Amino acid sequence: MHKQKLIKLIKRILITFLSIALLSLIVFYISRLAPGDPLVSYFGERAQKLTAEERSLALSKLGLDQPIAVQYIRWLQHALQGDFGISYKYKIPVTELISDRIGNTLILGGIGFILIFFGALILGFFCAWHEDKLTDRVICTFGTVLGCIPEFWLSLIFILIFAVTLRVLPSSGAYSIGGGDIADRIRHLIMPLSVVVIDHLWYYSYMVRNKLVSEFRADYVLCARAKGLSKAQIITRHCLRNIMPSYLSIMAVAVPHIIGGTYIVESVFAYPGLGTLIYESARYKDYNLLMLLCIMTGAAVIVCGELAKLINERIDPRLRKSMRFTEDEEVDEL
Amino acid sequence: MSSLRNKIVNKSQSENSVGRKVLLKDGSEPEILFKNKAENKPVVKSRFGRKAPLAAAVVLAIIIAGCIFSDLITTIDPSYMDLSKLDLAPCAGYIFGTDTMGRDIYSMIWYGGRISLFIGIVSALISTLIAVTIGALSGSASDRMDAVIMRITDIILSIPSLPLAIMLQAMMGAANVISLSVVIGATNWMNMAKLIRTEVRQLRDTEYVIAARNMGGGFFYVLFKHLAPNFIPSLMFMIVMSIRSAIASESTLSFLGMGLPLEQISWGSMLSLSEKALMTDSWWIIVIPGAFLAVTLLCFTSLGNSLRGELSKRHSQL
Repeated sequence: MHKQKLIKLIKRILITFLSIALLSLIVFYISRLAPGDPLVSYFGERAQKLTAEERSLALSKLGLDQPIAVQYIRWLQHALQGDFGISYKYKIPVTELISDRIGNTLILGGIGFILIFFGALILGFFCAWHEDKLTDRVICTFGTVLGCIPEFWLSLIFILIFAVTLRVLPSSGAYSIGGGDIADRIRHLIMPLSVVVIDHLWYYSYMVRNKLVSEFRADYVLCARAKGLSKAQIITRHCLRNIMPSYLSIMAVAVPHIIGGTYIVESVFAYPGLGTLIYESARYKDYNLLMLLCIMTGAAVIVCGELAKLINERIDPRLRKSMRFTEDEEVDEL
Repeated sequence: MSSLRNKIVNKSQSENSVGRKVLLKDGSEPEILFKNKAENKPVVKSRFGRKAPLAAAVVLAIIIAGCIFSDLITTIDPSYMDLSKLDLAPCAGYIFGTDTMGRDIYSMIWYGGRISLFIGIVSALISTLIAVTIGALSGSASDRMDAVIMRITDIILSIPSLPLAIMLQAMMGAANVISLSVVIGATNWMNMAKLIRTEVRQLRDTEYVIAARNMGGGFFYVLFKHLAPNFIPSLMFMIVMSIRSAIASESTLSFLGMGLPLEQISWGSMLSLSEKALMTDSWWIIVIPGAFLAVTLLCFTSLGNSLRGELSKRHSQL
């Protein structure tokens, strides 16, 4: 029994690594097939003035004259040793560049995700509790309206209100020049964070609400009611537990959604995180940087998905019993 | 009257339940021991759920009509840059003001809406086409093939779609309306494909599909003749939502300066002027196009939600 579990776990880990490798292959091919001159990002304006000989020398020095398959294998060899190459634009190792910025993104995205995760549960629970009453309907309408506003526009409106008109919050950056204490960081974090949360919160709350509401229609609820359990007891002990597995898998799917939103918000607020970096690198064909950013993002998502599956099997015995369960989770437009 | 209503309600219930067949672990169908009494009662119409789509449909119709007939309702050429009237606040001649390049925002909104809606619809069509092909292929393939296709779909899904779209856009060279629609369509099909795959897997072992196969029906024949009519109702919701998200992606990409250029007027490219507008404190350049965008998105969302169908028609047991 123990052995079986171990084999299953190893298989899982192998599949995860295989997925990440495949992801890197896809990203590598897409980014290399793109036209546009990577030398421009390396040499800047001078790239146009290079002679043909200098060009080919530069290309072979950067390894860009080889076939894509060879380039990929070489990249993979280096990557496995922790060397992801240098950024053509910044001329420093990409790992260094990313490690400078990743903290900011983790703070923004991580806090945002946690707030959304628990906020959606609480708000969904609240709406389901007051199902079809005035409070529920008002929140539903209001939430749908808020959820329809694109992130970048909401950010602009926030800047317009709080930074330009009221002048209470800073409009860009993660800290002011010179200063960098906690209070300053928090002041810079308020607007981006609230945009990320506001824009995603309702989508998931509505899902929780709908799942709970359809759970209320199950026969076991009637049975529990007949046995004399109170409403709160039924919801927390039975309904909430039943929707938990599907909520977790939805939140795993939500990771790329929220990361994507964070990236957009970052670039509007000029917040020095991975988002601004990813757009810059795509624009200037900074291959090594783009590769690592996409792979990191994708890998985080894949790992979260596997983690959600693992947790689900822990908390839901039905999934544990059947070795191969059909994934019948609700697929929704994100 | 009320008995007639009962029948209609019950009919719609049985139609709903066809899609989700409950099977026991050994694959047999569960025996229905008793039916809940509430199912036979007429359903109280939800006041909220019914009204919203009508209002949304009307507003959306107005916006679409305004965009189609923009020649008739505007008098100023949207691309004409009047250098003597830069950055004008809303006033009598220019009811929505002018932007930092001296163009009339009122005309730009209607002409730009054409492009935005066009991109939304075309890219939704493209992503539907890709999704139907891949979803049906995966759904009707062998278990192993299915697992591989779905794994790849999941991997593509794991890259946030905007960076992916930016990469693809870079591949296709300078952005224009068609290339942008293709890029957005190509990055937006994954969820739809998963839905279709699930539906096809449920349908493929039904007798009529097997019969059609045995009579020599090819893959696409079976797909469009037998499978598609079954999953189109549940797909409609996703198609409307993908129009919505395509419009949103277009505006985000253009706003970030990686979609349509400034000369090609769309709601997104109008908003890409907002950085300048923030400096001159001209709110109308940001608020008005964005409001049109948000209202359109809201209309599509509530239409989509009404297509998704009501939740369970049963009464709450609580």
